[in-house]
Amino acid sequence: MNLSVRMVVVLTAVGLISGGLLSVVNLLTAERIELNRLKEIEDAITQVVPGTVSSQKLYEEDKFTVYASKDASGQELGYAVYASGTGFQDIIVLMFGTDPAIETINSLTILEQKETPGLGAKITDQQAFLRYWKGKDIRQPLTLRKPAVGSPEELGATEVNTITGATISSDKVMGVVNLSLERLRQIKQEGKLASGDGHVN
Amino acid sequence: MNLLMMFVAAIFVQNYVLYYFLGICPFLGVSKKIDSAVSMGMAVTFVMTITAVVSWMINHWILIPYKLDYLQIVAFILVIASLVQLVEMFIRKISPPLYQALGIYLPLITTNCAIMGLALLASLKNFSFLETVIYGTGSGLGFTLAIVLMAGIREQLDLADVPEPLKGAGIALIVAGIMALAFTGFSGMIN
Amino acid sequence: MSTKSLSAEYLKGLWDENPVFRQLLGMCPVLAVTNAVINGIAMGLAASFVLILSSVVVASIKKLIPTQVRIASYIVVIATFVTVADRFMAAYFPPISKALGPYIPLIVVNCIILGRQEAFSSRNSVGRSFIDALGMSTGFVLALLVLSSIREILGAGTFLGMQVMGSWFKPWIIMILPAGAFITLGILLGIALLVEQKTRERRAS
Repeated sequence: MNLSVRMVVVLTAVGLISGGLLSVVNLLTAERIELNRLKEIEDAITQVVPGTVSSQKLYEEDKFTVYASKDASGQELGYAVYASGTGFQDIIVLMFGTDPAIETINSLTILEQKETPGLGAKITDQQAFLRYWKGKDIRQPLTLRKPAVGSPEELGATEVNTITGATISSDKVMGVVNLSLERLRQIKQEGKLASGDGHVN
Repeated sequence: MNLLMMFVAAIFVQNYVLYYFLGICPFLGVSKKIDSAVSMGMAVTFVMTITAVVSWMINHWILIPYKLDYLQIVAFILVIASLVQLVEMFIRKISPPLYQALGIYLPLITTNCAIMGLALLASLKNFSFLETVIYGTGSGLGFTLAIVLMAGIREQLDLADVPEPLKGAGIALIVAGIMALAFTGFSGMIN
Repeated sequence: MSTKSLSAEYLKGLWDENPVFRQLLGMCPVLAVTNAVINGIAMGLAASFVLILSSVVVASIKKLIPTQVRIASYIVVIATFVTVADRFMAAYFPPISKALGPYIPLIVVNCIILGRQEAFSSRNSVGRSFIDALGMSTGFVLALLVLSSIREILGAGTFLGMQVMGSWFKPWIIMILPAGAFITLGILLGIALLVEQKTRERRAS
């Protein structure tokens, strides 16, 4: 066989076999990968809006997604907001829950972060950071309490605690939440948060 | 994110060598002399910018519309390999002096993980076209900065009394560690 | 063609030709994913899977491939197995897949893998290539294990997430940071070279 013909034949064959094998692998794994992704979001929603039985995606844009969360009787429990922003070095992805009137935060959870281990990475720690977020009044923008205090009772209604040695990370998280709250109110006013046709996620 | 901020962040904060550990092989291999380090850095920046453009097109015009994202790795590596070949032929035709300067570094770039890393990270971070291009150039300049600084230090290091077993790669890695530590000082400056 | 005994073919990957400590190949993942032992092991196994299967496939089809397109063919073979590993991890071990991020797809440009195809599998029998790949993989996993153990124990006081240091221990955060990766590997390379020199001197005398 002519050399250049053989080269083309071999490369095409290698390519075809590879493509075929990969589409089989894709068929076998695609569904599971998608399920993993959905489950991660569902788990986070249940965590930030306790008592959630079903949730529904209401609004989506770049770096900002709103879910409505409902209990067993279909009563609206509040919104779960999925948002991301830049942290100390890299991206921070978080989710927080609010009541339906957007007046208080239920709780906050960090889904993805690459902050400094032992310092900024404490934003994922309940004891050091997340517990100070429960039940915060969000009718005004949140502010950071510096220097840090030792218990949630010492904070004002709209204050969140700083992590000692990681002011920037704490501040970046608060920034993402404040910005998302502003956007949430805005799109609610524009009427984009009305529950749609009852499609359940 | 502000494009300028992103550009600065790609150079200093999320430095390809010192933060993502990409392109370590050329970083250690071609950092003995400042002028060769500059040439290598230029070649990488050039290829990275082109890769950013091409990988974005492949991703957004072919892989995503036809739901072929599972072929991403195969597609990217083949494109990068052929791209480097094309760039090499192109430079040899257009500018022999430039080829003299960059030529020997170009084949090395194919297996440089920084290039593949750029294509993958840009797709992972979901950048728009303009963002991808800025990110590609910034990352390339970040690589250049790291490798040139490293070469500067290593030229001085030749005069120092380094313990025998640490000579070469060992001391280079330790120097890189100290540089990485210094670069963490840039963290937190992006918004 | 290699003429070593089969056990020597395997053992050379552990020390004499250890890909990380002796050949300085595949450094990017070695530095990037060794901040925790679990990540190091996962990366080691994924790279081993790719290396072993690619070596077997390349050794079995080496006669069919014209030399001019051999690199392109090897790259396609490697990229295929990398995709398989990547998808499989995303489907069955999502947390690890997320922690390793782009570093699993980046196995495709790991010089160890292409290097072995070019230097060994394209010239040797299927069985021998398998043994060679197995040895290199073991050497690679060992290197990742050593580095990630040092970094996790000193940097977090834990091993595989279990507390191993007493409460007196204050974690050295630098070990988890990129700086710790570079410095630890630099010192380990120095130690490897020292050990190698000493054994050579002893053999010579």
